Amino acid sequence: MAQHVTERDVRDIAEYARIHLDPDEIVQMTVDLNSIIDSLKPITEYDLEGVVPTFHPIGSLSNVMREDVEVTSFTQEEALSNAPARQDDCFLIPSILGEGGDR
Amino acid sequence: MAGFASMGVREIQVGLASKDFSAREVAQAALERIAKCDDEVHAYLEVTEELALQAADQIDEALASGKSPAEIGPIAGVPIAFKDNMNLKGTHTTCSSRMLESYVSPYTATCVARAIQAGGIPLGKLNMDEFAFGSSTETSAFGRTHNPWDLERVPGGSSGGSAAAVAAGLATVTLGSDTGGSIRQPGSFTGTVAVKPTYGVVSRYGIVAFGSSLDQVGPFARSVEDAALTLNAISGHDPLDCTSQPVDTDFTANLAEGAKGMRVGFVPAFMEAQGLEPEVKAIVEQAAKHLADAGAELVEVELPNAQAAMSAYYVLGPCEAFSNLSRFDSVRYGYCDPGHKDLGSQYEASRANGFGPEARRRIMLGSYLLSAGVYDKYYYPAQQVRTLITADYTRAYEKCDVILAPVSPRTAFKFGEISDPTSMYLSDMFTISINIAGNGGMSLPAGLGADTHLPVGVQLIGPQFKDENMFRAAAALEQVYGKAPLAPAFA
Amino acid sequence: MKTLEEVLQDWEAVIGLEVHCELTKLETKMFCGCKLEFGAPPNTHTCPVCLGLPGALPVPNRAAIQSIVLAGLATNCDIEKHTMFYRKGYMYPDMAKNFQTTQGPKAFCMRGHLDLTVDGRGAKERLFWEDLAEGETSENMTRTADGYVAHVGITRIHMEEDAGKMVHIGGGEGRIAGATHSLVDYNRAGTPLIELVTEPDLRTPEEARLFMHKLRQIFLTLGISDCSMEEGSLRADGNISLRRRGSKEFGTKTELKNINSFKNLHDGLAYEICRQAEVLEEGGKIYQETRHWDPSKKHTIVMRVKETADDYRMFPDPDLAPYDLSDEFIERVRAKLPELPDQKAARFERDYGLSSYDARHLVEHRFTTEFFEEACAEAGDRAKELAKPLANLALNDISAYVNAGEGIDFSKTAFSPARGVALVSLLAEDVISSKQAKEVFAAVLEEDKDPDAIVEERGMKQVSDTGAIEAVIDEVLAANPDKVAAYKGGKTGLIGFFVGQCMKAMKGQGNPKLINELLAKKLDA
Repeated sequence: MAQHVTERDVRDIAEYARIHLDPDEIVQMTVDLNSIIDSLKPITEYDLEGVVPTFHPIGSLSNVMREDVEVTSFTQEEALSNAPARQDDCFLIPSILGEGGDR
Repeated sequence: MAGFASMGVREIQVGLASKDFSAREVAQAALERIAKCDDEVHAYLEVTEELALQAADQIDEALASGKSPAEIGPIAGVPIAFKDNMNLKGTHTTCSSRMLESYVSPYTATCVARAIQAGGIPLGKLNMDEFAFGSSTETSAFGRTHNPWDLERVPGGSSGGSAAAVAAGLATVTLGSDTGGSIRQPGSFTGTVAVKPTYGVVSRYGIVAFGSSLDQVGPFARSVEDAALTLNAISGHDPLDCTSQPVDTDFTANLAEGAKGMRVGFVPAFMEAQGLEPEVKAIVEQAAKHLADAGAELVEVELPNAQAAMSAYYVLGPCEAFSNLSRFDSVRYGYCDPGHKDLGSQYEASRANGFGPEARRRIMLGSYLLSAGVYDKYYYPAQQVRTLITADYTRAYEKCDVILAPVSPRTAFKFGEISDPTSMYLSDMFTISINIAGNGGMSLPAGLGADTHLPVGVQLIGPQFKDENMFRAAAALEQVYGKAPLAPAFA
Repeated sequence: MKTLEEVLQDWEAVIGLEVHCELTKLETKMFCGCKLEFGAPPNTHTCPVCLGLPGALPVPNRAAIQSIVLAGLATNCDIEKHTMFYRKGYMYPDMAKNFQTTQGPKAFCMRGHLDLTVDGRGAKERLFWEDLAEGETSENMTRTADGYVAHVGITRIHMEEDAGKMVHIGGGEGRIAGATHSLVDYNRAGTPLIELVTEPDLRTPEEARLFMHKLRQIFLTLGISDCSMEEGSLRADGNISLRRRGSKEFGTKTELKNINSFKNLHDGLAYEICRQAEVLEEGGKIYQETRHWDPSKKHTIVMRVKETADDYRMFPDPDLAPYDLSDEFIERVRAKLPELPDQKAARFERDYGLSSYDARHLVEHRFTTEFFEEACAEAGDRAKELAKPLANLALNDISAYVNAGEGIDFSKTAFSPARGVALVSLLAEDVISSKQAKEVFAAVLEEDKDPDAIVEERGMKQVSDTGAIEAVIDEVLAANPDKVAAYKGGKTGLIGFFVGQCMKAMKGQGNPKLINELLAKKLDA
């Protein structure tokens, strides 16, 4: 099986995806991802020269828009009802930069 | 109220019209049956007793005012339940994930609202694979759902709860969602009629997204007509979903027409596919024969690019899922890992502990596949392959009105039997290309496998926006097989 | 640190702007029907879509698409018919979905430009234009009589959505650095936002300032935004790099953020140019980084170092249908194009015989434009005759009045265009002096009365009776024989003294023009 991603890559991907993985999880994830990516090989072997991609499987549907008309919003309470933490009618989060400075 | 479990939509509505029972009695019977039987099946994650009784009382009021059930709506008085990725205001919508364990929907999905508007009695929310990632409902964070035909086996997935509830008579109809086979495969495993309409027929607004270009909502039922009536209730254009189409098809319109004169496509390559169990193959061949006997013309069609569908799917699905699931960040809703002093570690711990292993795997895969340099190698070609697969189907439908195919290569497997992710992915080999192309497909129960004595469904695949074709063929086959029975242990 | 002038002798600054403009004039957000409102209580204008709730789907606002097409047409862009929305992924708490819905390689508006007229003090920042003959072009610069015109390319204008707002607590002065917590308000999340990116065609901070100013005028004229830099509905980021004079290669650029006024834009860019020059001249290296302009300390500080290119995992948004704009759609928008500032200025020159300078400055601000136009309409047949004094009134008195007060809506004051016409008529007919005119202007605003009434009440009519003036002149000359002698001896500068004495004697009501004439006649006789 080809090595598509290394453990180092998996650590970077996890960091970007904002998922903490323990060292042993990194090892297993690397194995799993390589196996799955290996199974995607057919897609890389197709002759697709000149084939237009279908990003939207909706036929000829285009220019779908709504009118600029106000619709009732949530009440403040509804908006905040699922907030894990709140303060002063806002969603409350811990320090964005943390102690390590900018990320 | 006796005999509720085996009743279909028409029987309930006849009973309501003739005042044999009230909608409230129907609701109560359904709730009692759930209370009695769902411990064994575990189809439900939440039972909405209050909403059900409220809806039932409204129907009783409407009936008392002189309206007929049909005037109230196509599924008036029919107990219905929803996959737990469908928002219903005031209920938990967990997607079977720790991430959303305490999330209470502040709004309602369009299809759910329409089902209730059409007279459906909302019984509750149904178990699924976490965020619909899976084919067995084993990845649910809240316990596995058992296949009513054999409690040691999976009901399929990801809409396993929706399938099991119908097979065990814990709801008359249910809604599920299908991204790569998540309605049809559990339909096959549980012997229920399970429909994935053409992409755009049912609004996706309010359905927690997995693969936005692949997801489609559809009904489970124990008869083709019940499925068609339910689809009538939930389909049609929704201004809140840009990809929803102006569809006003009556899916019951041609159920009685029979198969005579229909051209039924048959894909020889499918029948030779590796992993297709002989008992499944035999049933599909037999279904073809039944259709031919009913006057249909069998034609061979080719879908030369279908074998690329699997890899295209495992590119597109995870990429869209990665993006769709990035919103779960512990800020506005969802699981928040406690005690963190900085947002970065709160993000990472919340997403690590909130998402299960399969969700994490797909997010990681999608993040990799969309990264710079990799995008051009997989994502872009996958969308080009989609063009080829769509063209295959278009060409095939020049020769036929509907395609007959297997749903799943095998019958329901035992819990834990398949643990390797790539093997699990293979159970969707016959269903995935339909999501890639956007066509409608459905699983129709076609008896029990000769070896396993478990339900086997056959798949009917229609041209885009001609879902009535598959309904017509399915109704013709139902004439032969009869309506789907309740699972024997729950009959 | 060297001055900007010194630095620009040796270095050429290469400046590009990224301008974000919220479409504040719309009723609702970009992808949902929540109301657009600045300053509402936190989280009162949200819904499943702009809160990024699971299952919510976006539907674009047609008026936003019309607005961006309008902006593109007004800035000479090609309108791209086939475009798509993309998802740009980055996890940040003010971005509810953790991706921003924006456009990909193709934006609705591509390949536009604006021409900037640079003259006066601002033109001094750029070198070599004086070497050109009038009408001659070099690079993107064409020489005019008293400056040059700079041709600035616009790469694209794309449609996207704004993020929510955060308040950082525990860090002092609301700064993110050192904050222990932050509060998030999603009212602004999903506000329709257009982003305009220029080519790196700007060469001086003044050109950047003029570009923003001109763009703001255009967007205000289109009525698509209130363009408030203070409230953040118009924001500019500057990309700056330096290269040695004569070099064609680009240096490493830094990105300048936190610019909330035209002055900050100019001063921040000027500082950053000087800072880079100092680093380079000392043999240092410029790092690709984002820097924050601190207007109180008058310097820039590093916000973020970009080690690698950002990878936003962009891909076409499957939830949004692609665009295939019809000619009809575009033409319907084009029909709504109002007269743009440049066109208006040309018309003022042509129809009223104004100088190009006056015309250009009149259209710089809505209050001067509107006042001038309405006053001309009021003046009717006399418009052409009164245009110059009306322009002066608008550019001097009215501008000074508006600039002195905060947020004054001049059209709501007592000084109506009709009263403006009355005032300049009094002046043109020599009824009052220009000094008296200033007093009348202030009095109209203060007392809400017509200029004629004020002149009448205060007995301000200037004395233009030759006989009366001559009598006063004779008295003044008689009282100052020594000065008369000095004048006749060659000290002609004393004319001012005599005029002053006459005006004093007439309590400021003498016609100064007439006094001058008559004095000269008598003294030179």
